[in-house]
Amino acid sequence: MNTWVKVARYDLVRPANYLVLPWVLPFCFAVGAVTAGRSPGHDAAGFLSSFFVYFGVLGMQTIGRSLPFALTLGCSRGSFYRGTALLGMALALVLGLMLAALQALERATDGWGLSMRFFRVPYLLSGSWYAAWLTATVILFAVFVYGMWYGIVYSRWGLLGTLAFVAAQTLVVVAAVVAVSFEHWHLWSAAGGSFAGLTALGLTGVIAALAVVLLAGGHVTIRRATV
Amino acid sequence: MTPAISVTGLTRRYRDHTALDDVSLAIGSGTITGLLGRNGAGKTTLLRILAGHEFPSSGSVRVLGGPPAENEEVLRRLAFVREDQIYPEIKVGQALRAASWFYPNWDGTLASLLLEDFGVRTDKAVKKLSRGQRSALGITIGLAARAEVTLFDEPYAGLDAVARQLFYDRLLADFAQFPRTVLFSTHLIDEAAALFESVIVIDKGRVVLDAAADALRGVATRISGPCLAVDALAQGREVWERRKLGSQASVVVVGPLSADERERARSAGVDLTPLSLQQIMVQAAAGAIAPTPETSVMTERTRA
Repeated sequence: MNTWVKVARYDLVRPANYLVLPWVLPFCFAVGAVTAGRSPGHDAAGFLSSFFVYFGVLGMQTIGRSLPFALTLGCSRGSFYRGTALLGMALALVLGLMLAALQALERATDGWGLSMRFFRVPYLLSGSWYAAWLTATVILFAVFVYGMWYGIVYSRWGLLGTLAFVAAQTLVVVAAVVAVSFEHWHLWSAAGGSFAGLTALGLTGVIAALAVVLLAGGHVTIRRATV
Repeated sequence: MTPAISVTGLTRRYRDHTALDDVSLAIGSGTITGLLGRNGAGKTTLLRILAGHEFPSSGSVRVLGGPPAENEEVLRRLAFVREDQIYPEIKVGQALRAASWFYPNWDGTLASLLLEDFGVRTDKAVKKLSRGQRSALGITIGLAARAEVTLFDEPYAGLDAVARQLFYDRLLADFAQFPRTVLFSTHLIDEAAALFESVIVIDKGRVVLDAAADALRGVATRISGPCLAVDALAQGREVWERRKLGSQASVVVVGPLSADERERARSAGVDLTPLSLQQIMVQAAAGAIAPTPETSVMTERTRA
């Protein structure tokens, strides 16, 4: 058996963590339905974000919970990382398909009979079911890998290191925004004046590229992690 | 024969202290070696580096011919039983199942047998195990893995005396059937002494004794009795320790005693007690034994 698959199986040895994930949905749906879903516009899609956040937390937990015993079982950090990322990808595909199916169902039932938007996230997941599947999968995977990276940073450098990690990311984002909006350079107008030029699929591509960067970052960071 | 474990000039520095300081050693394959030393001497750091859990600051480490860190060729042939193992939220049976996927020589029958002996139920959550039962699980995985190199770091915290004896017996029985290289750190030295073919003592990050266990037997003797008789016997010998209480004295001398000397001791009413491994380790950690080639015990193993 390939080591990556072994690792994915090892992560799943207690599947409860992953099986409860879909059960987050009914709860956020209920909250969304009784609050934003009743207000004008019936747009409760923001509540769906907790599903993505939960998935990111799962990615983070794989490090603190599963890495120490995996190392003891003679698994290298690299294999553990790649195997767990593989599992994250598989789960993202399955959960993304589930979201796409629910999105299609929501459209067919005209918002569950309430004209409510929950799964049809405007702009991002409002297209066809397969476009929604692709976008949801890519976002889920990116969030999972991002969570893993946090777990690794925390295990290597503790709380202070994690804060520094957050600060560094904030700096990068701020620097990017400043650079792009610095009128003298005309970057913003070169990009079309807004992100509106970007289709949902185009944005999916950007997120996919970001996921690759995150994946590489975590891979470099885990190589000298100790537990 | 190439050694299963060979370490040269290994140093591990942390920000405020040096855990291992220029450690060099070689451990032949198919032996059980005791790794002894005081708390904080560097035993765990050494084992963690050998298992690839920790990284050296400098020096070279080879296990089964290659560096262990991030090297699956080596790692899958190596088992490490840690005192402070963190388990995911799983049950005992699930931990064993996961272990069976990773270790090529895994023996599931042996694992079930051991757990039964230790009285640990497989349907119990690892989190709910007592300290002793948790140690028993670690030992079970370490033995049933039948890895070519097996490292035990204080494997039996919280285990009762019966269970410890069971562990020694099982280890020896399985070792006889499937020889492997075992490196074993412990504080219960005299209890485990019979297992060891050789002994390494480290203190403050340095190797202070590296010898075959046989060579250490009778290497030093405590002579106690009337001052005059004791002094006469200790005359001209290397002395590790000297105590005096009134007219009685107790001296630890190095080297074997001749039949003539034994006879003299008996007639003078002097007690002769060979130093146990534990007492030798205490002397070694106290710096009595200088790790120099002229100390005959030191070179025994490198020559063998």
